[in-house]
Amino acid sequence: MTKPAIIVLFVMAVLSCKSASELKSEQYFVEGYNLYTTYCANCHQADGKGMSNLYPPLAKSDRYNDKSAVACIIRNGMKGTIIVDGKEFNRPMPANPKLTEIEIAELVSFLSMKWGQDSVYTSIETVQAALKNCKEY
Amino acid sequence: MKLRIKTIHIYTFVLAAFIFSITSCKEEKKLPILGERDAVKKMVDGKEVVDTVYNTIPAFSFVNQEGDSVSEKIAEGKIYVADFFFTTCPTICPIMKRQMIKVYDQYKGNPQVMILSHSIDPDHDTPQVLKKFATDLGVEGSQWQFLTGNKEKIFEIGQHNYLVTAKEDKTADGGYIHGGAFILIDKEKRVRGMYDGTTEEGTQKLIADMKILLDEYK
Repeated sequence: MTKPAIIVLFVMAVLSCKSASELKSEQYFVEGYNLYTTYCANCHQADGKGMSNLYPPLAKSDRYNDKSAVACIIRNGMKGTIIVDGKEFNRPMPANPKLTEIEIAELVSFLSMKWGQDSVYTSIETVQAALKNCKEY
Repeated sequence: MKLRIKTIHIYTFVLAAFIFSITSCKEEKKLPILGERDAVKKMVDGKEVVDTVYNTIPAFSFVNQEGDSVSEKIAEGKIYVADFFFTTCPTICPIMKRQMIKVYDQYKGNPQVMILSHSIDPDHDTPQVLKKFATDLGVEGSQWQFLTGNKEKIFEIGQHNYLVTAKEDKTADGGYIHGGAFILIDKEKRVRGMYDGTTEEGTQKLIADMKILLDEYK
C-alpha cells in the first residue's frame, strides 16, 4: 500500500470513530433531556435555573466533575444543607429507585454536557461502578 | 351649506347610536356557582318560596405558617384561591407553586384577595416547615396562608367542599395523591371556578376570572 492510502485509511478510521462516539453522545443527550423533563424539571425547572430558594439551579452546580456523586444523588436523593451559586439550600431531594443504570447514565450525560464541561457522554460502566460505592449525600 | 350641516347631524346620530349599542350590548360576564345545590322550601310572609342553597365552604380551624390558629373568618370580605399540596411532593406541587406565584404577584397587597394553601401531609408539614417553605418560595406577610392541621379535616374539606381529590396513597410518588386544582371562592364562600394549576392556561384563566369576580363586588 502506498503512503497516501495509509494516511487516507487512518484519517477515515479516526473520523468514523469520532462520529460513532459523537452519535452516542447525541443520543444520550436527547434521551437524558427527555428524562430530565420527566424526573427533574418539576423542581429544577426546564432551564435548570431552579426555583427561588426552594430548589437549587443545576445549571450553576459545580459538581459535574464528580460523576459518581451526580449518579448517586440521582439514584438515592440527598439531604442536608448545600451551597449552590452562593445560595444556601436545605430541602431533601427524593430518591429515584425506578431509574435504571442506562437512564442514570443518560441523565448524567445530559447534565454534564449541558451544564458541565463535558463534550462526550458518560458511559453505563462509569455509572455502574459509581452506584456500587455510593456514600450518603 | 345646509345640506352639509344635515350630513354632519346624520353622522353624529349614527355615531351616537353605534356607541350606545356597544355599551348597552356589553354583557356582564358572571362566573358560575359550582357544586351541589339544594332547593329548600321556606315560608316568607305566609307564602311558600323555594330557595337555593349552594355548596359553601364550612367553618374550619387550621394552623398557619406562623403557628396561629386560622378559621374561616380570616377570609371574611375576601375572595380567595385554595389549593392542596405538601412540601416534599416531587411531582405536581412545584409546578403548582410556580403558577400560584404568578397569581400572588398579580394580586399582591390587594386587601380583597387571599390564597389558602392546605398541606395534605400535616404530620410532616408543621408550621415551622411551612414557614421555611413560604420564606424559601419568597412569600412574606399574611396574604398567602399555608395551612396545616387535622389530616382528616383537611381531606374532608378538600373532597366535600373544595371538590378536589386529596387523599393518602402509599403507592403514589411522595405518598399522597391530589389534584392540581386551584379553586376560586367568593365572599359568600361559594366555589366559583376550578382551574388546572399545573398549566399556564389554567393559571391565566384564574387570574382573569378573579378580576371578573372582584367586579361583582364593586
